[in-house]
Amino acid sequence: MPGIIRRIPAGVISTIIALLIWQLIGSFGPLAGDSFATASEAIAGLASLLTDSTFWAAVGQTLQMAVIGFVISIVIAVPLGLLIGLSRFSYRSTKFTFDFFKVIPPIVIIPIAILAIGPNITMGVVLVIFANVFAVAIQTAYGVRDTDPVLLETMRCYRFGILQQLLYARLPSASAQIAVAIRLAASAALIVAVVAGLVGGAPGLGNLLMRLQSGGQVEKTYGVLLALGILGILMSRLIVRGQRRIIFWSGR
Amino acid sequence: MTIPAISIRDVTMDYPTPDGVNHVLDHVSYDVAEGHFVSIVGPSGVGKTTLLRLLTGLASPTGGEIHVRGERLTSSPEGLAVVLQDYTRSLMPWLTVAKNISLPLRRAKMSRSAVQERVQESLAEVGLTGTERSYPWQLSGGMQQRVSIARAIAVRPSILVMDEPFASVDAQTRFDLEDLVLKVRDDFGITTVMVTHDIDEAVYLSDEIVVLHGKPAAVRDVVKVEIPFPRSQMATRNDHRFAELRTRVYGMVRGLE
Repeated sequence: MPGIIRRIPAGVISTIIALLIWQLIGSFGPLAGDSFATASEAIAGLASLLTDSTFWAAVGQTLQMAVIGFVISIVIAVPLGLLIGLSRFSYRSTKFTFDFFKVIPPIVIIPIAILAIGPNITMGVVLVIFANVFAVAIQTAYGVRDTDPVLLETMRCYRFGILQQLLYARLPSASAQIAVAIRLAASAALIVAVVAGLVGGAPGLGNLLMRLQSGGQVEKTYGVLLALGILGILMSRLIVRGQRRIIFWSGR
Repeated sequence: MTIPAISIRDVTMDYPTPDGVNHVLDHVSYDVAEGHFVSIVGPSGVGKTTLLRLLTGLASPTGGEIHVRGERLTSSPEGLAVVLQDYTRSLMPWLTVAKNISLPLRRAKMSRSAVQERVQESLAEVGLTGTERSYPWQLSGGMQQRVSIARAIAVRPSILVMDEPFASVDAQTRFDLEDLVLKVRDDFGITTVMVTHDIDEAVYLSDEIVVLHGKPAAVRDVVKVEIPFPRSQMATRNDHRFAELRTRVYGMVRGLE
């Protein structure tokens, strides 16, 4: 018996247990009733969504906002962070402003974004960028500042220029920090893309969630939640796998 | 009279601190002759590493001048190579051994095949042939320091500066690395300045030993090591001159003499 159990991936067991607890609470707990779906109902809801073309369109729209916003924020934030991190002065002088923007939750700028852009995909993309660009830039700059001074001095002794120091020492040594920032940014991107639909009227899963909920479609509403969880896990798995290949030396 | 490889003239170094100025070096003067191996010894905290930072151009003296082959030092001089105590921090973990060694050669305008050849030669010199494609962290500490030494000799330096190069390896590896340094000296005759707290090591490797002492530190004495090369761990360390010198230098470092 223990041999068989050991061959099952650990995640599968905990998932089954979590679903069982959900099923029990949904059936017998204080929340039991029509408005609270059990695990089996949620899974059934998800299954019915899978054959529904509006669901897939919503998935596509949400992913579009999340991925485009995510990629643009990385493309802006990492080089920006590298530049900021190059000198102590620029790091110190930018840090306050960036920290200020970093702590503003993206949801509070939705009213402004609706006014400026309107409730569409572009707004979702802008929100995702706003949510990530400051945090990733600051984290990158921090990683760059954190480069081992012994390595930098070694390079100066061997007469490496600023650009070479950036390329061969500062960027690789900041990459662990950048990796963490990117991982956080990926999940934030998905969340913000959904929120943009939920609160801001942008298309996608958030919007679908609103419509299902107000239409009283409990099972499908829960099905969307399951779908979001699965999407989030897939995205972070994909990113972690990519990162392990790129920064193979970290943790040594 | 020939120009010395390195000329340190009246060098003074002060650091401002919250508690006032910290005087580290006080009118230090010393000439390193071309091709000589010089060790700087002294009690810990005396300013040995500060002096080394000045020699590498990483810092500028508050007073006095340093000349390298007659030219006044303003930044790290051409033809400088360094080997530091902390090899894990001075090598790049994201580059292979070969890439670590070849990177400083990029500026030398050598052809790709010449660079490869130089890397091979350097690895052979330090006894690490076959590790080109390894990463530094896959090697033992002693081997990593050999990579640092290979990187240093690959640039065909005119000056080699070493800061406690063997302080982070075990005793056996230390002897091996000392003998490697003697071999490199024999093969290339690089002018070398080394900071060490190990007096035996200073006597074993050096032509001259500079003893720093005092606060602020000054050159307390310069000891010539007149034990002929080639030297060996067994014979040299049993030589009566070795015992006399180490006792004398030890006394000076401790301020007993």
